[in-house]
Amino acid sequence: MTYRIGVDVGGTFTDVVCVAADGVTTLAKASSTPADQSEGVVNGLAVLAERLGLALRDLLARTERIVHGTTVATNALLERKGAKVAMLTTEGHRDVIEMREGLKPERYDLRLPAAPALVPRRLRLPVAERIRPDGTVEAALDRASLDAAIATLKAENVEAVAVCFLHAWRDDSHEREAAEAVRAALPGVFVTTSAEVLPQIKEFERFSTACVNAYVGPIVSRYLARLRGRLSDAGYNGPVFVILSHGGVAPVEEAARLAAGTALSGPAGGVAAGVALAERGLGQDLITFDVGGTSTDIALIQDGEAALGRGRTVAGERIALESLDIVTLGAGGGSIGHVGASGTLQVGPRSAGAVPGPVAYGQGGTEPAVTDANLVLGYLDPDNFLGGARKLDRDGALAAFGRLGGTLGLDAMATAEGVHRLANIRMADGIRVATVRRGVDPRDFTLLAFGGAAGLHASAVARELGMRRVAVPVFAAGLSAWGMLHTDLRYEMARSEINTGGVPDDTTLHAIWAGLESEGRARVASWFGGEVETKRAADMRYGEQVFEIAVPLEAVEWEAPGLTGRVTDAFHARHETLFTYALREEEVVLVNARLAVIGRLPPMAAPEAAAAGAAASPFATRQAWIDGVEQDLPVFDFGALTPMQQVAGPAIVESDTTTVLLLAGDTARMNGQGWLDVTVG
Amino acid sequence: MTAPDPVTLSVLDNRFRAIVEEMGEAMLRTAYSQILNSSRDFSIAICDGQARLLAQADHIPIHVGAMPFAVKAVLDAFGDSIVDGDIYLLNDPYHGGSHLPDLTIIVPVFADGRPIFYSVVRAHHTDIGGGTHGAYNPAATEIFQEGLRLPPILLGQGRVARADLVRMIVTNTRLPREVRGDLMAMIGAAHLGEKRLLSVLDKHGATETEAAVAAILSLSEAHARRIIGSWKDGSWKGEAFLDDDGFGRQDIAIRATVTKQSDSIVVDLTESDPQVPSFLNSSWPNTASAVRMAIAFLLDPEVAKNDGCFRPIEIIAKEGTIVLPRDGAPVTMCTSHCSNEICEAVVKALANACPDRAMGGWGRRYRIAIKGSDARRPGRSFVWHLFHARPGGGGSSQGDGWSTAGEWHSAGGLKFGSVEMAEARFPLFFAKHEFRPGSAGDGTFRGGLGGELLMRLETDGPAVANTAGDGVRYGAAGMLGGEDAAPHHYTLDRADGTSRDLKTKEVGIPLAPGDTLHVRAGGGGGWGPPEKRDPAARARDAEEGLL
Repeated sequence: MTYRIGVDVGGTFTDVVCVAADGVTTLAKASSTPADQSEGVVNGLAVLAERLGLALRDLLARTERIVHGTTVATNALLERKGAKVAMLTTEGHRDVIEMREGLKPERYDLRLPAAPALVPRRLRLPVAERIRPDGTVEAALDRASLDAAIATLKAENVEAVAVCFLHAWRDDSHEREAAEAVRAALPGVFVTTSAEVLPQIKEFERFSTACVNAYVGPIVSRYLARLRGRLSDAGYNGPVFVILSHGGVAPVEEAARLAAGTALSGPAGGVAAGVALAERGLGQDLITFDVGGTSTDIALIQDGEAALGRGRTVAGERIALESLDIVTLGAGGGSIGHVGASGTLQVGPRSAGAVPGPVAYGQGGTEPAVTDANLVLGYLDPDNFLGGARKLDRDGALAAFGRLGGTLGLDAMATAEGVHRLANIRMADGIRVATVRRGVDPRDFTLLAFGGAAGLHASAVARELGMRRVAVPVFAAGLSAWGMLHTDLRYEMARSEINTGGVPDDTTLHAIWAGLESEGRARVASWFGGEVETKRAADMRYGEQVFEIAVPLEAVEWEAPGLTGRVTDAFHARHETLFTYALREEEVVLVNARLAVIGRLPPMAAPEAAAAGAAASPFATRQAWIDGVEQDLPVFDFGALTPMQQVAGPAIVESDTTTVLLLAGDTARMNGQGWLDVTVG
Repeated sequence: MTAPDPVTLSVLDNRFRAIVEEMGEAMLRTAYSQILNSSRDFSIAICDGQARLLAQADHIPIHVGAMPFAVKAVLDAFGDSIVDGDIYLLNDPYHGGSHLPDLTIIVPVFADGRPIFYSVVRAHHTDIGGGTHGAYNPAATEIFQEGLRLPPILLGQGRVARADLVRMIVTNTRLPREVRGDLMAMIGAAHLGEKRLLSVLDKHGATETEAAVAAILSLSEAHARRIIGSWKDGSWKGEAFLDDDGFGRQDIAIRATVTKQSDSIVVDLTESDPQVPSFLNSSWPNTASAVRMAIAFLLDPEVAKNDGCFRPIEIIAKEGTIVLPRDGAPVTMCTSHCSNEICEAVVKALANACPDRAMGGWGRRYRIAIKGSDARRPGRSFVWHLFHARPGGGGSSQGDGWSTAGEWHSAGGLKFGSVEMAEARFPLFFAKHEFRPGSAGDGTFRGGLGGELLMRLETDGPAVANTAGDGVRYGAAGMLGGEDAAPHHYTLDRADGTSRDLKTKEVGIPLAPGDTLHVRAGGGGGWGPPEKRDPAARARDAEEGLL
């Protein structure tokens, strides 16, 4: 038997999922080790081996590949613990990253202190050189100014350097020359250029992304080297892939080079799982709804594909790489219910976190969290949380709601119910904003609920939005790690093509994409020997507009004459879909040519559908409060439900790691592929 | 009318905030012009049946207190004849508007046969007719030279705008296609708000919803009063000056006497200078909004910006002054000037009551628009608006100010475009665009820095520029011993080697290829005495080359 293993490092737990050649999936969990995440990874693998009845070395000897989601880059940004970075930049333009296009967060907080830039001004070193947008050299690279900058780099002992010159999207020869000189003078220093990271027009986006890359690059490189070392010590020398912000995977070496591309590695696995489930018959239009301890991640899957965007900010820093368009809300199981400054009941964004955690954890928390509400209302079993690994203190949680409600004139149960309801409302509003941004109606989508706590809120959230269908996978708690195993190698490329006279002619279009294609295929071929396919897209706009929209070109016939017209038509159609109108008489401008190069990994075997046996009966009844009414709910064991078995709400379906609350009118049916399919009443 | 239970109250409070946010997203996605989809110069509000502001999306602070005047003007004009499905439009600053380029769409939301809410969308349009391209006409001495006036009109019924009226409006502008597109986006966003509010009413009923609205407003009022109550009582004067009116008069004063007693504030602007002949006069809704904006900046950021939070504030002004001009005076510049000066005068006075909450002055606005032609695009002219080289934000008790974050009225909410994109699209060469060292006002916490721009014109022939702004003589004010920031200084460095200072209110400046525009923007004002500044911070500024 051979195995493939997905590893997702979260704030509290490291989830390890393995899929065997026969399709059987096994989940293991270990505590995360924030100081060095690779320690928790190997611990998790050991737990997994034990569950499979194998020695760790034997398991790893039979492992074909490991796919990893890491939060090392994200944490370095959030905690400001990245490398000491310097920037070489075009003379006269050294403040681009600190000007932030004139924008400041928190409109009415004028006392908010100015945020320091990732690279301080004294390390933003001007170099005399200048290229124009048409590629002509206005001023050659001045070696004297470059040498002076390099002398400063040496004196300052920087760990990383970002070379960021204006119009390098058009011609990066100056950037390459400067980077070579830095590498020669400072061996061992991490060097990145803006055109290498994001060869696209718009200096703030490109420079900021390059600086983030330099800031997290050394740390991510060191971490991945440590991980490699630990795995090797444990007996594994096979391929290790990292899931990137765009939802595809790449070898560790590529993840180290483009470290800024790992900023959304954590939540990307869940979206990848959504895409994989869409392929397995869940439906083509999904909203992924991943409820964790401190936050909820929401993403859209349309026509079976995850929506991508480039406006991402992580810890206040702009990363303009192609990333999954994930909306993160500060509302999760640990979000605290409190009376806000205005005097109304509020939930979040403050969170009890892992420590002290909700009041019910008995670790010193005093303010009630959403999890406490779910416990008090009877939705969670105090004796069987995480399979009994943690006993929950219901009385303590109830007392905390009593205290909170006292200031509002509410009793404890009504307060707990209020916190649960408000959490539902906030989650539903988050989905509304995420869908309106994409111009779609959530009622046409299926809500895919996962993460430990989503099942308790999914049915109510779906009702709030008028959604008719919810799906909860049996592996809801480890779905991100599972998802990583079901995504392909991916390399995203872009080239800016600014011109003054509309969309280029057929010959130019062919040449642009042929160049991307040969370069991209060569890179992915260096990663593995399998089948490679490509997808074309473009960023386009009307002449006078400021923002481009992403136009998929996969469906455009590429070879026949008249390509310019077909590309232009694809833009008009896309504009009309997004914004309800098209202006067909207007000039259309092509700004960026894009190519996604995809290396197909061999598909995973689907598990053999379990035989439809006798329907499982509820193993218990539990007193629960729904809409102020106390009632006895039947409790089913999620793992014991047989394919096609139906469960009518109100009811609870639970496993060691997740609980699903079905409301009156809901009909749930266990699907043979491993998810509970709920028709919302 | 009994208040709903606390949970329902919180649910509705969250819903109203989410609705304005969703309307804002819809507007951003559907607007056609750059000023809306890039610079976000629009605002969204929900008012209740009595024209009280209930919720507002945080976009442009100077819009915050002005929207209810628009709804009030519709109620005054149409009263009982308002029916379900109506669409109202206005822009006239003497009938509920702020200045002519800001069009406001108002849609009633009916339940139980009466309007329970108004869904409101205000947006700045790229052109509204008048004497100059782009609405800012420094030569105007009457509002009629500033563009098309629209008192409240019934634009449509049955949720459909009358095509002939829309045609009439857009025909009176230089950019009919853009104005039409943006107007349609506004109506769409207002209808989205209506739809969402109807579902709230459907679920909770008109009576419970109205009770919740009243309770939400009372809670905000109590929140604001609690904060104001913690400040020192007293009466203080604050003063701020405009450079000039463009017609020869200098040092135009905005004077605020602010009396804070218990949990109320009275702002008396009576002593402000008489109205001026040019576009710096402030319409009454804009004046009220500038005062409210100033006080909102001093409250906690999380205080809900609604009718309740503004109840503790009373505003007094005298007709015929620059802050309450007589009908017919031009006002187009007012959302920046004299809004910024009104705000600064109020903050200066209240700095005595709540020193730790006051902040150094934010920058003043100084616009330039250049019209010319490009050899790469024969036969087409271009218009370029200066948004680069922004001024700095003020320092405060919490730290130094934000550099290049802009003016009081936008407070870090207006984005400037990419230099690379500007060079690719326009015949302009940006030799330098950096912080301007020495521009910040010194203080215990200094202001942010303004920007510096050296931009060379590479047109294929002569071009022409207009300016509109203020702040070359007065920089952003220092607060509580902090120093004023450097004012703006714009020069035109000619290709022939000569140079001259640009004035803030000039029309038809001839430009030639090779001319360079040298913009040195003012910084933000400092907070607290400079001698108390941490020497380490000063050393860091020196090392960073900011002094």
